[in-house]
Amino acid sequence: MRLPESQVAVLNAASATDERTIAQLAEATDQKPETVTGAVFDLRDEGLVSVTETAEESVELTDEGVEYADEGLPEVRLYRAALDVGDGDAVPMGQVIGASSLGGPQVDIALSNFARKGYGHIDSGELAPDADADPDADEEAAALAALDAGESVDADVLDQLESRKLVVRHERTIRAVTLTDEGVTALMEGVEAAETVDRLTPEMLTSGEWEDVEFTEYNVEADAPEARGGKKHILRQTADRVKDVLTGMGFAEMEGPHADADFWINDCLFMPQDHPARTHWDRFALDVPPMEDIPEDLIDNVRDAHLNGVGDDGDGYHSPWSEDFARAIALRGHTTSLSMRYLSGHEVGELEPPQRYFSVEKVYRNDTLDPTHLLEFYQIEGWVMAEDLSVRDLMGTFEEFYSHFGITDIQFKPHYNPYTEPSFELFGRHPETGELIEIGNSGMFREEVLRPLGVECDVMAWGLALERLLMLMYGFDDIRDVHGTLCDLDLLRETEVLK
Amino acid sequence: MPVVDVQPDELRRLTGHEDKSDEEFKDDLFALGLEFEGVTDDGAFQLEFGPDRLDRLSVEGVARSLRYQYGDARGVSVPNTNDPDWTFVVDDDVPDERPYVTGAVVRGVDLDDAALDSLIQLQEKLHATMGRKRAKGAIGIHDLTMLKGDVLSENASGNSITYTGIEPDGDTFVALDSNDELTPAEVLEQHDTGRKYADLVSEYDRYPAIYDEIGLFSFPPVINGRRTEVSTDSRDLLVELTGTDQWTIDRMCNIICYALAARGATIEEVEVQYETGTVAKPDFEVETKHVSHDRIETVLGVELEMDEVIDLFERSGLDANAELAEETVYEVSIPPYRVDVLHPLDLVDDVGRAYGFNELEPRYPDVGTVGQRHERSRLEDAVRTSLVGLGFEDLLNFHMISEEENYERMDVEVGSDVPASEASGSSPEQRSGGVLGGGEPASITEPYSEDYTMLRTWVLPSLTMVLENNTHRAYPQDLAEIGHVAHRDDDENTRVAEARHVAAVLARHDATYEDAKARLAALCRDFDAELETPVTEHPSFIDGRTAAVVIDGEEVGVVGELHPKVIVDHDLELPVAAFEFDLSALA
Repeated sequence: MRLPESQVAVLNAASATDERTIAQLAEATDQKPETVTGAVFDLRDEGLVSVTETAEESVELTDEGVEYADEGLPEVRLYRAALDVGDGDAVPMGQVIGASSLGGPQVDIALSNFARKGYGHIDSGELAPDADADPDADEEAAALAALDAGESVDADVLDQLESRKLVVRHERTIRAVTLTDEGVTALMEGVEAAETVDRLTPEMLTSGEWEDVEFTEYNVEADAPEARGGKKHILRQTADRVKDVLTGMGFAEMEGPHADADFWINDCLFMPQDHPARTHWDRFALDVPPMEDIPEDLIDNVRDAHLNGVGDDGDGYHSPWSEDFARAIALRGHTTSLSMRYLSGHEVGELEPPQRYFSVEKVYRNDTLDPTHLLEFYQIEGWVMAEDLSVRDLMGTFEEFYSHFGITDIQFKPHYNPYTEPSFELFGRHPETGELIEIGNSGMFREEVLRPLGVECDVMAWGLALERLLMLMYGFDDIRDVHGTLCDLDLLRETEVLK
Repeated sequence: MPVVDVQPDELRRLTGHEDKSDEEFKDDLFALGLEFEGVTDDGAFQLEFGPDRLDRLSVEGVARSLRYQYGDARGVSVPNTNDPDWTFVVDDDVPDERPYVTGAVVRGVDLDDAALDSLIQLQEKLHATMGRKRAKGAIGIHDLTMLKGDVLSENASGNSITYTGIEPDGDTFVALDSNDELTPAEVLEQHDTGRKYADLVSEYDRYPAIYDEIGLFSFPPVINGRRTEVSTDSRDLLVELTGTDQWTIDRMCNIICYALAARGATIEEVEVQYETGTVAKPDFEVETKHVSHDRIETVLGVELEMDEVIDLFERSGLDANAELAEETVYEVSIPPYRVDVLHPLDLVDDVGRAYGFNELEPRYPDVGTVGQRHERSRLEDAVRTSLVGLGFEDLLNFHMISEEENYERMDVEVGSDVPASEASGSSPEQRSGGVLGGGEPASITEPYSEDYTMLRTWVLPSLTMVLENNTHRAYPQDLAEIGHVAHRDDDENTRVAEARHVAAVLARHDATYEDAKARLAALCRDFDAELETPVTEHPSFIDGRTAAVVIDGEEVGVVGELHPKVIVDHDLELPVAAFEFDLSALA
């Protein structure tokens, strides 16, 4: 059997027949009493020793008690000095005190006990020692001397010493240890000391020494120094989640330019050129030359849709349409520009139904910058192309998508967009607060959008700000704390990750 | 989105549902797509709705829609019109830029305060929406009794007014809210409303003007004369609209006429005498479009009976006649106040709304497709995962930035991305020897603020700004961003070269070149990319502690210790090691 060194020593010092106290074992093993106590408890837990506990009173001399034990009680010293000076006669007090070399409070102590214990009289400033008194028989002095020697004394005299604050009494538990039968057996079979270590070292692992060591115990509840690792931005985590859900639902990701011609951003979407959202104060036009390369047939088709509508009964907008405006370059106000590029067949070739595509990318709006609106934010955009889609398909798709974010009870509020019909604002039940909140905009692309692009089947689409989804899920008050150069690193560091 | 203020008491009166509570109205309005946004000081509902049904821009239009919803009204309704007494003569001098006019005479109006407020609101809302802030169409409403028509020589019984154009200082009149005789040009300078709309006509050679026998009484699209001002005492009105598109002003006129007719007024036609011929206005012609039964069923995803469809049309304020051929097709009549029906599908939407879209059972479309991430997006994600594994805090900054932050505070010069030796050379893609971040800016013509005037050409300025704004936070601050950058490049179809850069900063009291390079090397190892770091110079970095990032033989970025002047300029008090390179190098 291998045990820590301290336990081995205690086991060897203990007896099966005689009780040994902790103090005795400490002396016998040359270890600190607290170490022995710890070892004894561990050994008891292993069943190798038994421990009996008795309450015991111990008496300890105070500093003052120790002094008197050495130098004698002040009243005794006063008595002896009086005898020396006056040779049995009364002598002036000052003379005696000087001879006794008592000082300070000891003088008062000496004087009050002198009379009480019958060492003599004090009268008119003179001290008269009683020649019959026997300082050697002073029981307080004897008791002090006995205590100093570790002997016990009578309880009455102990009370007197305690009242004079020369001793203090302690209640303490005395633990007495005896070997159990198992302990005896273990000792007979042989017990070896195991080493205790602070740190596990590579050498211990390679040498196999770890098998023989005991590890010192740490305070495992104490605080550890702060550790910090990197972490994906919370908005990226949210985007990843959205991408996971959408790819799982069969959507493929789109990619395309942030700076694009208004043709792709707005004209293909059947947004009239005099639409308020296309005015200069709503878009970020770039100070660059117009786009040259746009397929001419596409331009013709789109212009015709704007001016004359699509189909036998179609009407166009009663708004002017300028090719120059269409070619002007701006930052995209929505990623629907990507959808237009893909649907036109100019991005990944002509698309045959069915198709599902998505994007989670940045868009730019010349809106007011405030806690819930940014000039640039992430738009979730998705669309489904298939023959004969109905609004029920659209509803089913969104119910599925939002359910992955805990948003249920989706409501479809009929709405107007220039590029979709029917159109719906999407409302859903907030996962925490339960209130009905706007969660997106959706619809079936108009024929005026699809036919000029050469798409003959149906396409349904929807859009939603990723930041809005994030704020719903995390309850951030100010999106600027998270997104942009005014971000708060502590907030990012402390934000819970998305599970 | 337009917002219209509607007094609930007016709604009760105009719908005839005197017992409806405010709450019931709110629910009914929500079902129509009008969202309750709040209450005005005098108790009116503020209702927001999509800018399609502009016929709902007043309480009269909202009440009409509710009456259809309640089933109190069905099908198309067209107000009766009386024969014309007034003629609008359009003469040769009319400004070419604003040649069109329309209008109506409205008799027997009962304008209490609420009705007058509603009329003024409708006028303003139509200006803001269809009228494109009066540029496309502007409305003038006049007290008819204050007008004295010119007697037309051919027709002794009729009256006329004349739409013409005059010199900016060619005449004077007293405008609304004014006491002074001013010329149109003076109105544009001195009158509040004049100043507000001056841009609309200031470029015109001749200003639009409308005359009666007494003289100039309207200066469209800017302001009316005070003489013909409408009050609660007015009983007969003359409505005139001028604009750049006949259809647009005709429809605006129709919406106003329908609103006044709903209050019991009688609409009287006017004749508009263009040089090309005379036309009667308002134009209450009912248009028709055709939509198949099959299409309605497909879009809604439900099967419907023909009677049911016709009923739904009528409850939407439309009329439908079924034409039974091989497939059932409805000929649908559309009332002249509708401005949103461009295509038969718009009628299907009306059927859906009347049916109740929320009555439809959602279903997951039964079509199979394969989902996948874009290659670029996967690469970006993989690099981000590696950076986070290296201990970097992943950041996300704006793409828009100021020139000061992008160039000046980083000590980088505009156009320095191409070295002098190659500036006239062939390939602008090659930045070899040029300064990373030194590309020409893709500038925003009309920025939101001076902080966002261009797209960033590189990412390190953003990261340095984050360090600057977080000096009160614990160090080390190891930050990374994979982000979009762009610079002007006229050879690109979009005139802007866009890319994604990988950038990182290590701000710590003992940061050195080695710290940055070690992490850069680790990143390259993850992507099996060969990294070389030949010495280079970059104005943002300390000379002798700066290297070009060369990955698989191509120079794609820079690594080094940020120059103390950049550090100090960003109020930082510790060294910063950094790198930035083009993401595609790890592809």
